[in-house]
Amino acid sequence: MRSLERLTLAHLWVAFVAFTIACFLGVWQMWVRSPLAAPFSTPDHYFQSVTAHGVSMAYVLSTFFIMGFGYYVAETALERPLPAKGLAWAGFWLGIGGVVLAAVTILLNKASVLYTFYPPLMAAPTFYIGLVLVVVASWIWCGLMILAMSQWKRENPGRPVPLAMFATVANAVMWLWTTVGVAAEILFIVFPASMGWTQTVDVGLTRTLFSWTLHAIVYFWLLPAYIAFYTMAPQEAGGRLYSDMMGRLTFILFLLYSLPVGLHHLFMDPEHATGFKFLQMSLTVLVSVPTLLTVFTISASMEIAGRLRGGRGLFGWIGALPWEKPMVLATGLAFFMLWFGGGGGLINMSFGMNAMVHNSSWVTAHFHLIFGGTVVIMYFAIAYSIWPKLTGWRPMDAGLQRLQLWLWAIGMMVMTLPWHYLGLQGQWRRVATFDYSNPLIAPWGKWVVLSLIGGVILLASALLFVWNLWQHHRQAARVASAPQRYAVALHQPATVPPAFNGFRAWNWMVLFLMLAAYGYPIAQFFINPPPEAVVHRVD
Amino acid sequence: MQLEGQDRFLFRFMMGVVALVVAAALLGFVVVPTIQGARAGLDVWTSVCRALGIAPGSPSAATPQNTAQAQPSSNVVWSPFVIDDLARPNPQVAQDLAQNLCAACHGETGTSPAPDFPHLSGQSALAIYKQLHDFKSGARQNPQMSPVAQQLTEEQMLAMSNHYASLARGTLDRRLDWVADPVTDQLVRTGDTARGIPGCQSCHGTGAGGPMETPTLSGQRETYLKAQLTAFAQGQRKNDVFNRMRDIASRLTPAEIEALARYYAAQ
Repeated sequence: MRSLERLTLAHLWVAFVAFTIACFLGVWQMWVRSPLAAPFSTPDHYFQSVTAHGVSMAYVLSTFFIMGFGYYVAETALERPLPAKGLAWAGFWLGIGGVVLAAVTILLNKASVLYTFYPPLMAAPTFYIGLVLVVVASWIWCGLMILAMSQWKRENPGRPVPLAMFATVANAVMWLWTTVGVAAEILFIVFPASMGWTQTVDVGLTRTLFSWTLHAIVYFWLLPAYIAFYTMAPQEAGGRLYSDMMGRLTFILFLLYSLPVGLHHLFMDPEHATGFKFLQMSLTVLVSVPTLLTVFTISASMEIAGRLRGGRGLFGWIGALPWEKPMVLATGLAFFMLWFGGGGGLINMSFGMNAMVHNSSWVTAHFHLIFGGTVVIMYFAIAYSIWPKLTGWRPMDAGLQRLQLWLWAIGMMVMTLPWHYLGLQGQWRRVATFDYSNPLIAPWGKWVVLSLIGGVILLASALLFVWNLWQHHRQAARVASAPQRYAVALHQPATVPPAFNGFRAWNWMVLFLMLAAYGYPIAQFFINPPPEAVVHRVD
Repeated sequence: MQLEGQDRFLFRFMMGVVALVVAAALLGFVVVPTIQGARAGLDVWTSVCRALGIAPGSPSAATPQNTAQAQPSSNVVWSPFVIDDLARPNPQVAQDLAQNLCAACHGETGTSPAPDFPHLSGQSALAIYKQLHDFKSGARQNPQMSPVAQQLTEEQMLAMSNHYASLARGTLDRRLDWVADPVTDQLVRTGDTARGIPGCQSCHGTGAGGPMETPTLSGQRETYLKAQLTAFAQGQRKNDVFNRMRDIASRLTPAEIEALARYYAAQ
């Protein structure tokens, strides 16, 4: 096995092992919240489990998958060796060290603060150190992605960077901007308090800094799915990408608009004025533009594939698509879930409507549907697509892979639709148990049980996923696999404007938007410092 | 300056983004607050200042006047200074007082010889300080403790709290046979949601998320615990902020109060 394959597989296996453990925890949490008696059910265990589930899914699965897939794209799309592979391995082990440190702290019940921290709650310092190590590992990845692209550009002057790599670097640049908020929060406020060096924290400031990260981090998780939409799905469907430039524009718009929008997570918070909330809401509307562009471009790309395969009429091309291919099926299912998840997101980001769903199960349902649904199902499809190339073994039974994808999509819909409904009924999130003997709450019971059934289907799908991947490693003989190919555009550009081949100009735009959106909202904490909250240790 | 085609596109794109930000800012900082403020009887300047966050209040509502008089159940203020002071030993003050004043009821090492006086050794310094302060201010009343606490200075209260917190708990009468009671165990760990009773450990457990002054209950005197829960239940003791313990204790049956007192005494 070549070194790239080892590097990618190491990252992806860490991601998927964390994912599987987190799926077990997730099902148990839904069980605890249901009217059915669950084992080990105490609030203490519940919040410990929620912390472990959130950290595993949001930090370990996502970061390690993105790093592993990024290394793979950098070498296969640029068709040159990844620079500084030793550094990539150093980043991997740094990340592993961080994960172990954070996991042990959570298991010792010294970090039940959830993955979003919630100061003035304060976990043991090792929890934060562990997470910082994971972030530092991801920064190494960002540096390597930027280095790989700039070396390629020097070797290929004037040629457009392949779209898959352009998008990967867009994600790396966005992630560097994204992590500034949480890094500042942890390094300057939370960690000193956790060590006992300070005894109070400015809760408003910590929440604001976390909001800087909190929305863009979702796009960090999302972009690999979009990379698959643009560069893998049209190829596997047997067609062409409708527009390469549309792809570049989409990823640039994500870089611009995923960052100055985090205050929409704080609409109900008192520390910010309504004007800045309105401004960031307006910018949040704009972040739906790249998603709408993507829906258009990928639908058009699929139509090209369907018609090339003989599809006729207004909708006949849809049936003509090769749905037996996991990547094509996953793209269809991801778009289906995106329809619901995106619609819910538009409600969340509306200043007024947000008040109706704030802190309710609706929000939890929304981010499970978008991340767990649209994004993670594409992680599965990417894994199925690249695993034979990584392992050098022949592709496995696509029937089991399709079954797994269907189970995931069905499980996610069965879990999250009742969950959305319960949120509208007023069921609050981050609560361990409910009094189902209360006549106001009793009717929720059956919907929570239905959600739990969805969760069990998801767990079955997760186990089948790991089984499907593991089957590759059990084969006796290797076969030569075709090199990774990415979708070619209908009119593949020979050159693109410099602004669509790099990010220098766009960084200035991000800076402008961040100053406009976050300048005063952060400065106000220093101009007129509010009273701080006394730290509350949970270790 | 003449811009070439590609640069012109980029320039226009960026100007478009700037224009969108300016338009959103105008709407959010001027237009919407002005309209909302007019309905709430606010002038334009106040509305805009509120939307910017440089004046307090919302641009959509007049600030309500509040004439309520605060009736705090405790006057303790938790500040970093108090917490720092509580962590600092003051043996000169503490040892003298412990021997000459406190030991009579709470024992020489903070392990109480009488069933209705609480053990102090190993108790949280914040919990002891809160109670001493409340006895002194009158928020909590007791025929023995109130006159004692009223004589104490702030320095003495801080010193005594630190002193007892630093002592390990003595050998207690562990009656483990009482612990084998699953109903009480359930009450301690998860509470009873049907009656709105949270689990005791939600606040009193180690590392739990309860108020910082929450005392540790493990190994405490059974008679003392029962008396305090009963006093909370009947509203005779009322120095719990937000009525927390009065609410919870009033929902417990006398038998549950007894069982909980036994449970914690045996821990």
